[in-house]
Amino acid sequence: MPGLNSTADFAAVPFDPYELKDVVGGTIRDPYPAMQALRRISPVHSGPIDLGEGAEIADPTKPAPVTVFGYDEVVQVLRDSDTYSSTIYEEVMGMVMGRTILQMDEPEHRSIRTLVASSFRSKMLERWEEDLVARVVNELIDTFIDEGRTDLVRSVTFNFPVQVIARILGLPREDYPRFQRWALELTSVAANWERGIAASNALRDYFADVMEERRAHPGDDLISELVRTEVEGRHLTDEEIFSFLRLILPAGVETTYRATGSMLFALLHDRTQFDALYNDRSLFAPAFEEVVRWEPPVCVILRRATREAELAGVKIESGADIALLIGAANRDERKYPEPDRYDMFREQRQHVGFGFGVHVCLGMHLARMESRIAVNTLLDRLGPFTLDPDAEPPHIEGMAFRSPLSLPVVFTPGG
Amino acid sequence: MADDAAEPRPLDVRVDWDRCMGSGNCVFWAPETFDLSDDGHAVVVDAAATDEERLRTAAQGCPVGAISLWRAGAEVPLEEST
Repeated sequence: MPGLNSTADFAAVPFDPYELKDVVGGTIRDPYPAMQALRRISPVHSGPIDLGEGAEIADPTKPAPVTVFGYDEVVQVLRDSDTYSSTIYEEVMGMVMGRTILQMDEPEHRSIRTLVASSFRSKMLERWEEDLVARVVNELIDTFIDEGRTDLVRSVTFNFPVQVIARILGLPREDYPRFQRWALELTSVAANWERGIAASNALRDYFADVMEERRAHPGDDLISELVRTEVEGRHLTDEEIFSFLRLILPAGVETTYRATGSMLFALLHDRTQFDALYNDRSLFAPAFEEVVRWEPPVCVILRRATREAELAGVKIESGADIALLIGAANRDERKYPEPDRYDMFREQRQHVGFGFGVHVCLGMHLARMESRIAVNTLLDRLGPFTLDPDAEPPHIEGMAFRSPLSLPVVFTPGG
Repeated sequence: MADDAAEPRPLDVRVDWDRCMGSGNCVFWAPETFDLSDDGHAVVVDAAATDEERLRTAAQGCPVGAISLWRAGAEVPLEEST
C-alpha cells in the first residue's frame, strides 16, 4: 500500500510483545482479601486506602478521594453520569489518547458513540468469525502444534486480539508488528511516559496516511466507516478519528488478551470445568461471563463528583475523585455466593466486568466473540491440554489490569 | 373471577428509547425476546419467549435502566429478593 512509509524506520524491527508484559499491569497476585476486608467495614470509603501497595498520601487541598467496593454502589455511580462525571479521564488519558469518548459526558458522549456503535453490534461481527478470528488463531496454533508444548499467553492470547483489530481497521498485514508495538507502548504509558507519547504521535502519523488512502479508496473496514460517517450533519474531524483509533488499542487489545488468558487459567486449574466446556461448547457464554466477573481485566473505573453527594451513607465532596473497584464489586458476597470461586455453573447474574451505565464496554460483543473463537479453536486443535508440570506455575497478577503472565501447557504433538 | 395466583398473567416488557443506547446487553441475555433495530435501539420481539427469571436479569442488567417489566398495568420491581 502506498503512502504508509512515513514511519518506515520502525518496520524492520523484530518485536517480541512479551518484553513489555511486566510494565503494564503490576505484580500483585491477590488483592481480593484486602478489598473484601474493607468492603465488610463499608462498601464505600472516603480518604486514602491501602490495598497492599501502601496508602497514598492525603492531599488536604483536594476533596477526599472515594473508593467504592460494593456492587450496588458501583452500579449506582455508573448509572448516574450527571453526578459522577467521566471528565477525570482527561487528566489520566487525554494527553496520550487525545479527546476520546472515555472522557466525555452526555450528550456529547452519546452522539459520538452512536456513530461507531453499529460496527460493534453482534450481528455486524459475525462476518469476522471464520474469515478473520479463526484464521488468525489457526495461524498462531500452526507455529507450535507439532511441539506438544507452548506458553499460550506468548503464543496465542497476547497476539491474536491486536491482529483482529488491525484487520477490522483494514491495516495491511506487514504493518501488524509495528502496530502491535505502538499499541502496547501506548497502553503502558504509565510505565514509560515518553515512549507512550512517542507511540501516540507515531500512530497519528500512521493513521493520517491510512485515512487519506481510505478517503480515496473506501473499503469494508472501520476506518473507511469513520471517514464516511456523519454526526448531526458533519463529518468527524481527523483529530476525533485519531482519538477513537488510539482508544481502540488499549480498549480492544489489552482487555481481550487478558480475559482470554484468565479464562484459560481458570479452566486449566479445574479439570471438571475444563472437561465440561470441552464436551459442550454451549457452555462458553456462561464460562466467559463468569471469568469477566471473577477476574475482570480492567479492575478500576474512575469518576469525578460534579456535586456533593452521598453514597451508602458516606459523604462525597464536589470534585472528589472516585475509584470504582470493579474486581471487588464483582466479588461482593452480598450478591454472589462463594464469590472467590470461578464457577461457570453458578446462577447467571449481571456483573460489572464490562462496566455499566452509558459508558458500558462498546466492544463487549467483540470480546465475547473473539474469545469464544480462540478458546474453541484451541480446544478443537490441541485436544484436552493441561498445565505443563515441568514449568513454573502461572499466576494471575496485576492491580488495575489483571491476567496471567504465562500459561505453560502440554498436549499431544500435532493435536 | 380467575385466580391470578394459579395462572399469573404474562410480563409485558417495555424499552425506554430515550434512555436506550443500544448496548445489546438485553439481546445477549434474552435473544429470543430482544433485538436491535437498524438505528441501534432495543426492540421487544416476543416478551413471552424468555422465562421471567431471565427477563429480570436482562432488565436489571440494562446498563442505562431502559427496560421495565409490567404485569397487569403495574410495574414489576427489579430488585432481587436477597
